Amino acid sequence: MPMKFQFTITPTVGGETAEGAAEEEVPVYDLVIIGGGAAGLTAAIYAGRARLKTLVLAGPLPGGQPANTDIVENFPGFPEGISGSELTQRFRSQAERFGAQVVLDAVTEVDFSARPFTIRTYGATYRAQAVIIATGAVPRRLGVPGEAEFFGRGVSACATCDGFFYQDKKVVVVGGGDSAIAEGLFLTRFAREVIVVHRRDRLRAAPLHQERAFANPKMHFVWDSVVEEILGEQTVTGVRVRNVKTGETSVIEADGVFVYVGMEPKTEIFAGQVELDEAGYIVTDKHQRTSTPGVFAAGDVQDPDYRQVVIAAGSGAVAAIEAERFLAEETRPTQTQPPV
Amino acid sequence: MPLLDKETTEQVKRELADLAGPVRLVMFSQTFECDYCAETRQLVEEVAELSDQLTAEIYNFVTDKEKAEELGVDKIPAIAVIGAEDYGVRFYGIPSGYEFTSLLYAIRTVAAGKTELSEETLKTLAGVTEPVHMQVFVTPTCPYCPMAVVLAHQMAIASPMVRADMVEAMEFPHLAIKYQVMGVPRTVINETVHLEGAAPEPMVLEKLQEALAGEQI
Repeated sequence: MPMKFQFTITPTVGGETAEGAAEEEVPVYDLVIIGGGAAGLTAAIYAGRARLKTLVLAGPLPGGQPANTDIVENFPGFPEGISGSELTQRFRSQAERFGAQVVLDAVTEVDFSARPFTIRTYGATYRAQAVIIATGAVPRRLGVPGEAEFFGRGVSACATCDGFFYQDKKVVVVGGGDSAIAEGLFLTRFAREVIVVHRRDRLRAAPLHQERAFANPKMHFVWDSVVEEILGEQTVTGVRVRNVKTGETSVIEADGVFVYVGMEPKTEIFAGQVELDEAGYIVTDKHQRTSTPGVFAAGDVQDPDYRQVVIAAGSGAVAAIEAERFLAEETRPTQTQPPV
Repeated sequence: MPLLDKETTEQVKRELADLAGPVRLVMFSQTFECDYCAETRQLVEEVAELSDQLTAEIYNFVTDKEKAEELGVDKIPAIAVIGAEDYGVRFYGIPSGYEFTSLLYAIRTVAAGKTELSEETLKTLAGVTEPVHMQVFVTPTCPYCPMAVVLAHQMAIASPMVRADMVEAMEFPHLAIKYQVMGVPRTVINETVHLEGAAPEPMVLEKLQEALAGEQI
């Protein structure tokens, strides 16, 4: 039970469209930012301050990944840590303060073949002179039998959402990175036992997370193992794991399974519009430019390596500054014009 | 001490600035055996202060039993959000955390008496002639949950046959057990059909039809 109540106001839910968007004469934005996480909202702060007419289409998860993070401890300026929901709400307030418009509409289709660019959502069509893609990444699924079947009935990818339902229960966390360990530690507040199943013999998580995990009496580790199947009847009863070194399989009894096996960039709708790498990430240069002039990308959607809130925010700032420069270059009178 | 800090209060004022019509926040409370009744009551009173169009009405779940029955309120804390008519929009448990967004959205939509549902959905809902009860289980720390709550509430507003509840799972553990809630959001329709996650509008509509079809057999 929360000791202190929080009251979070996220951008309007339910497919609301930006004002005037449904009308036939669509206003052309200077900049449309697709995605409302750390990268998108930071870009919006910079764009707003640059006085660009800016719209953020925040998509289905306002706040992005930090929104379902219990506590963010490595964002500078918050020595005590800050809840993910509060941090993203602050990003949003700051963006709105400088004039950016934030709506929750989710993008379904884009056309970057001609300018102004076209961005379609469920409810409307928007046009923009420049675009920043900041759609982020979504949790990767294990892709094993039982996972889809038991989703919501013991399989989860959101510990802050569902941790409460595992009081005094035994849960398995799959993965060995920062998310797996941080969320596993969060789950020890509820569960009697948290078993981390990891495919390697050591964790990939930050050393501080590791120290805390190894010191926590509720955390246990199953090394060199992959989950092959999620077992259950009405709800989850356990997982079948295979040791990758010995090939032996065994069953771990559990009431719940939390999957944190990395992320996948959300780029399906951009295929053919900007260059993607083999893993589906948007290819950017150090100025956050994509292969299409006027289209920039920032945050986890173009970052397979670091995936940090602060880096997403930083790349969002770069993208906005570059978008502003791109737009300024265009409107600047050319040097070769003869003097009048 | 107020529940809403200064910054949030200002934001709520903006969100509720041009309500299309009057809205009553009818709250049911009780002194004992109710975890967050006091806080829910305080929240309702604080929010009602922030718009001329809003009024708070506080009832006692025990001594105002008739009123509770009239509004179909069967547990507390409860908030019925009522506009020009009672569309069947309910909150059981305190709408804190991400659910605060759902409350503000419900107020705005009930005030307008019209939704943002698609033509397709509205057409299907117009054909519903049997009662539909949607219960959306949530936790306050679930960023996906308001989407499911808002959708259910919109369906309640769009159809006189549909009523929709937000149910805060932590405050009603017996219901969480009864409906096997192990993850949120989880939408239970007419006791028979359930849906995991914040599903898109057409999928929720399909499940609603499934629940109705099941009952006809």
